[in-house]
Amino acid sequence: MSQIYADYNATTPLDTEVRAAMDEALGASFGNPSSLHQAGQAARRLVDRARTQVAQLLGAAPDEIVFTSGGTEADNLAVLGVAGAAASGRRGIVTSAVEHKAVLDPCAYLREQGHAVAFLPVDRDGRVEAAALRAAATSEVALISLMLANNDTGTLQPVAEAVAAANTCGALVHTDAVQAAGKLPIDVKQLGVDLLSCSAHKLHGPKGIGALFVRRGVRLVSLAHGGRQERTLRPGTENVPGIVGFGKACELARARLPADSRRVAELRTRFESQVVAAVPGARINGGGLRLPNTANIGFSGLDGEAIVINLDMLGLAASTGAACSTADHAPSHVLLAMGQPKDEARSSVRFSFGRESSDEDIEHAVTLVVRAASILREARR
Amino acid sequence: MSERIAIAMSGGVDSSVAAAVLKQAGHALIGVTLKLQDCHDAHGSRSCCGVDGITRAREVAGDLGFPHYVLDCVQDFEKLVLAPAWREYAAGRTPSPCLSCNERVKFGVLLDWAARLGIPRVATGHYARLHRDEVGRPMLLRGRDADKDQSYFLAGLSSDQLERAMFPVGHLCKPEVRALAKDLGLPTAETPESQDACLVAPGESFAEMLRQRFSAPAQAGRIVDEGGRVVGEHQGFHVFTIGQRKGLPAGATVRRWVKDISATTGEVTVTSRMDELVRTTFTVKDVNWLAGELPRAPLSCGVQVRYRHKSEPATVVAGDNGELCVTLDQPVKAVTPGQAAVFYDGERTLGRGWIG
Repeated sequence: MSQIYADYNATTPLDTEVRAAMDEALGASFGNPSSLHQAGQAARRLVDRARTQVAQLLGAAPDEIVFTSGGTEADNLAVLGVAGAAASGRRGIVTSAVEHKAVLDPCAYLREQGHAVAFLPVDRDGRVEAAALRAAATSEVALISLMLANNDTGTLQPVAEAVAAANTCGALVHTDAVQAAGKLPIDVKQLGVDLLSCSAHKLHGPKGIGALFVRRGVRLVSLAHGGRQERTLRPGTENVPGIVGFGKACELARARLPADSRRVAELRTRFESQVVAAVPGARINGGGLRLPNTANIGFSGLDGEAIVINLDMLGLAASTGAACSTADHAPSHVLLAMGQPKDEARSSVRFSFGRESSDEDIEHAVTLVVRAASILREARR
Repeated sequence: MSERIAIAMSGGVDSSVAAAVLKQAGHALIGVTLKLQDCHDAHGSRSCCGVDGITRAREVAGDLGFPHYVLDCVQDFEKLVLAPAWREYAAGRTPSPCLSCNERVKFGVLLDWAARLGIPRVATGHYARLHRDEVGRPMLLRGRDADKDQSYFLAGLSSDQLERAMFPVGHLCKPEVRALAKDLGLPTAETPESQDACLVAPGESFAEMLRQRFSAPAQAGRIVDEGGRVVGEHQGFHVFTIGQRKGLPAGATVRRWVKDISATTGEVTVTSRMDELVRTTFTVKDVNWLAGELPRAPLSCGVQVRYRHKSEPATVVAGDNGELCVTLDQPVKAVTPGQAAVFYDGERTLGRGWIG
């Protein structure tokens, strides 16, 4: 069925140019990049080019890019890789309460293994306070991991402050930029981070491929063993078609970024203001600087999951962040960390727009949200 | 008229065809598969955690073109069905968990969840029919396929629950359902019968599964005959049910059946006399009566004391505390405490009570 797609933070449609680029790697250039012969060399060239394209989107050098199976693996490699390589006196990890599970769960695992892990709180806007970062930065800390932009609310985190705090104590800084890459300009040098995760399918590339930027000189232990690929940090034959698609997607994102994010910010703002005006009790979650495409809206007195299912029936794809329904579903840990009561957090829905969202989509989406809210209010009587 | 309906989809052929029938009638459908068990629970067990059913249901919904969701009912199912079922076994009775599941989960948790979504009706693939009686009350009838009739399992639904229920295959026979599934090319056309296999692999004991799940000690004890003579030992009375022959020590020359289970002494009493197993009168409690008030004057009707038993002629009359006193025309074997007795007037389900 034809649906309006408003879940770009979950994934994005594959760009047709990306698809065309992948065709070559899926066909003629099928070689193994590690092979000595020309078939291997052809594949190796594709990987090299893609590595440059990804590096350019991030302002990095090509040899600082390690391809992984996606954002989750990149986050795991950063967190567990730093912890494994850190000196014995540096057992501390600092992160925030609103990270993606791909960071929270490896941090929780490290805590079980005896590391000291601090999950910093956020303010009502969903932002970690700079003072908290400074206070947490002690000489025992090996890594500060703070996301660039939150997947649920789009709220930007003070990564520059994390870098400043880390510089006072000699800790490394990792940022999960899975949501930010392609939506915000990123320059790892300007940002000053040591590690940065990103993922292809959030920026119109294929699923199953991501990358970790590892600043030259940063030592990590690898999580898998078995080959010399990706500087041994990610052994195993490369996902060449995925890498090629990722490279092309980064090249396109870089070229389109300023215009795309201006346009999508305008759509998002219009959507938010119209929904808030039309639906009683609707309010915007998250504040301060946010991603241009993300609207997280709370609908007081209603259930977010019930709204999402009704929207799905009506033809609009949105999200509460969970894939499995429960009669009493767990609210977003991000909204809870922002101090929202459970019921308020449960009433929230994430809408995220992107490259193919149109003016008509926004207009229609507002109508459907209004209709879903009125169906649910009716049902409560 | 197009209605908003949630169809409970197990991934079997019946609920798949039920969904197809509703979709063809032009209703706004959502498919819902109830997740009743955590995957980690199934490790080491031969029973499936339900992922197969979820996968098939999702495939059918995709083919038919409506959305499908998984509703996590693991905790509700444990609290509302499994825990009460274990309490019954632990008290020496034999529960009917399928009725509780329909009453409290499918037409409880799911119905409430759908209502909160603004979806007033829940359909299932049960073989039963819904009509209205002369005063407009919903009337639950046996499924047209006598072999597959599942009205017994639904007889505990209240009138309010029935008002919102739909059984789209109740007027069909199983071969017709299979044929429809085949014609429609549904991926579930050939799925085997899954009835009663919920959570338990064939050959596994439901009672024993529950005992392990709730980490309850097995109540070992003696097996005695009618005269009080010890004829053997057992490792836990929960695996026995009235009328059971399997698992008893072989008598010298005679066949034996379980006649009584005492949770207080842990004794299982057996008999070699079939006529010792029969009962003519019993009472049922927590009665759900669908035909108005409980009958104050003796009422002739049929009573079915187990699924797949036939309905026996009986007279029922309201007793104290909402109980119903049942007098069978002919003695019936293995009237078992904990099981549901379901009352019929011909095809019509009059109600259900729990055998005391």
